Amino acid sequence: MITKKVSKKDIRKLLGTWNQECNVIVPSRVDGVVGMAAWDNQDISFLDWYRNTVIPPKSCFLPKSEVMMSFKKNENGYNLEVPTNEHWQVIFGVRPCDARANAIIDHVFAVTYDDYYYISKRRNTLLVGLSCTNPYDSCFCTSSNIDPTESEYVDLMFTDIGDDFVIEDFTGGGKALLNMSNTLKKVTKADIDKIKEVKAASVSKIKKTVDTENADRKLGSLFNDTDYWERISAKCISCGICTFLCPTCFCFDINDEMIRKQGARYRGWDSCSFRSYTRMPMENPREEKWRRVRQRVCHKFEFFPMNLGINACVGCGRCIRSCPVNWDITQVIAGLPAEAGIKSGK
Amino acid sequence: MEKELRDQAAKLLEEGTVDYIVGFASGTLKHTTTPLITGDKDETSSLVINPFISNNLATYALEISGRLGIVAKGCDSRSIVSLIQDKQITRQDIVILGIPCSGLIDLKKVEKLAGKERDEIDEVVVVADKVVITVGSEKQEVPAAAVLFDHCIGCELQIPQEYDFLIQGPAVEIRNSEASREKIKELKQMSPDQRWSYWKQQFNRCIRCYACRQVCPACFCERCFVEESQPRWVSPVSQWQDNLIFQAIRAIHVAGRCTDCGECERVCPVDIPLRSLSKEMYDLVGEMFNYKSGMNAGAPPLMTAYELTEVESLIR
Ligand code: SF4
Ligand code: SF4
Ligand code: SF4
Ligand code: SF4
Repeated sequence: MITKKVSKKDIRKLLGTWNQECNVIVPSRVDGVVGMAAWDNQDISFLDWYRNTVIPPKSCFLPKSEVMMSFKKNENGYNLEVPTNEHWQVIFGVRPCDARANAIIDHVFAVTYDDYYYISKRRNTLLVGLSCTNPYDSCFCTSSNIDPTESEYVDLMFTDIGDDFVIEDFTGGGKALLNMSNTLKKVTKADIDKIKEVKAASVSKIKKTVDTENADRKLGSLFNDTDYWERISAKCISCGICTFLCPTCFCFDINDEMIRKQGARYRGWDSCSFRSYTRMPMENPREEKWRRVRQRVCHKFEFFPMNLGINACVGCGRCIRSCPVNWDITQVIAGLPAEAGIKSGK
Repeated sequence: MEKELRDQAAKLLEEGTVDYIVGFASGTLKHTTTPLITGDKDETSSLVINPFISNNLATYALEISGRLGIVAKGCDSRSIVSLIQDKQITRQDIVILGIPCSGLIDLKKVEKLAGKERDEIDEVVVVADKVVITVGSEKQEVPAAAVLFDHCIGCELQIPQEYDFLIQGPAVEIRNSEASREKIKELKQMSPDQRWSYWKQQFNRCIRCYACRQVCPACFCERCFVEESQPRWVSPVSQWQDNLIFQAIRAIHVAGRCTDCGECERVCPVDIPLRSLSKEMYDLVGEMFNYKSGMNAGAPPLMTAYELTEVESLIR
């Protein structure tokens, strides 16, 4: 519901109020790389330059590496210590694609399975979304039925209408955040008109589109077409960029580190693109590159829709922007040969 | 140049001289290209030559079986030669389509100068030794050297010397070895402590995607030490110490093979200045052994060849 707005010059004050109660996380350039990081209680210049992060916000819940438990040998065995996570955090500036992506990963770590490490961070987090006004040429969220100015997966949604941000609240947590502040103003009829305008303009800025309709069925019928997958995968170099930077990829690996009778168990990102994937317990069933590329495409566009009724690609475009060889998933989806018996489109 | 290349590539496929052509086509995003790997002669019409053809296509020679026609800039041709020296590929299986190169554009430098990101920049055009950057109605003309990759400014082979066909075209003189070592010079001016904390900070953000290794034609090991578990040389956990060790060992492993193509640094998604390590190795190899990788297919490879008369008893 649209209730309030905040003047741009009051954003520092608003974030400051929240920062007194919980950790505020904002889009930040850390050594030149854009990710979500703790706010310094001061700098809001990201409002001018921020488009989207390179490192996706999933890293707030599933970091590239984290300690699952630390251990130390004593007389009777081992002392184990499991990290706890009691502090609240507000992540400000989540884009609609990434908000949906978090919801997708929730299915894996919080719905079908209760993952302590994920949930302990996720349940203490409020997400504040920020509408896109300057999407990349590689963004194609609208093809995943995402509006770059709307999200049902955040607690609050901010949209830039010029001098102010109009705020929509969706949850109790979001309302609580609004109630903490005294810098908010009422929205006017003119603001409502303006927000409609802004929203339409943003949507029209998304130029990259791909028809994902029936992609799951087309992929299903192509699954065993080795020639096709070999051709599609030829230029991929099997690095971990597209999966690590994908906001919906969640594969992980667990490793113990021990030096002089103490150490820790770590969990970190893993990637189905790697030839060494799952080689630790056994062998990689996807030894050939084309099988690994097929896995990535099918996981996003066939298996996820089959199991959960939703594509696991949100169209953030990170994998296209950062791929060393410009392997473009939209080209692959667009180029899927039509399967006999499937009527195309609405 | 493009027409000559396309015709030659089509001819090679048509005659059956090669099974695949490996070259560049336009990318799907602004100012990008993408490797084109094709056995279809009609597709050779999409081959391009422009200042954005960054990939070192020699990497593909390692994994594609069959006879390949590879489009090669100077540095790529050196990587191909280096792979031949190391007996990773055979000369007879490769048709080198050499192209002269006047340097490639480093989009990060362009973005910095323009104050805009890649997709917000309308045009980047090379005119002889100048580059014109257009954003909206604003045009900015800068010396090419200001926006070329550091490794391009240091290039020692703008025209391939090992080739089967050399596409005719200009190679504008761009060499400025001093400027190409600028970052390394800065690092050398630091105290060891400062340098250590510099690299600590850099490797702290490594995500262990291994893109640096995967793009590198000199990284041809079937089994990489970094993934070995018995014994385990480096932890797979992304921590700065292990990330740094991974890269330090990689730099040593590619010494004498690295041709300073700059790909490792270009592809790093978190902008770790990897070339500062590989280029320093490259120069050390030059100084200590008077050796330039990939310059002579007949020469014994630096690191793996030895003679019975070696001074060191270790390898004798
Ligand atoms: S598609 Fe691109 S980013 Fe993904 S593994 Fe292949 S080369 Fe790496
Ligand atoms: S597959 Fe690519 S575009 Fe889709 S969500 Fe992942 S990174 Fe974004
Ligand atoms: S490309 Fe960069 S982030 Fe990836 S492993 Fe290499 S140094 Fe690390
Ligand atoms: S180490 Fe880097 S610069 Fe050297 S050959 Fe490999 S990718 Fe190219």
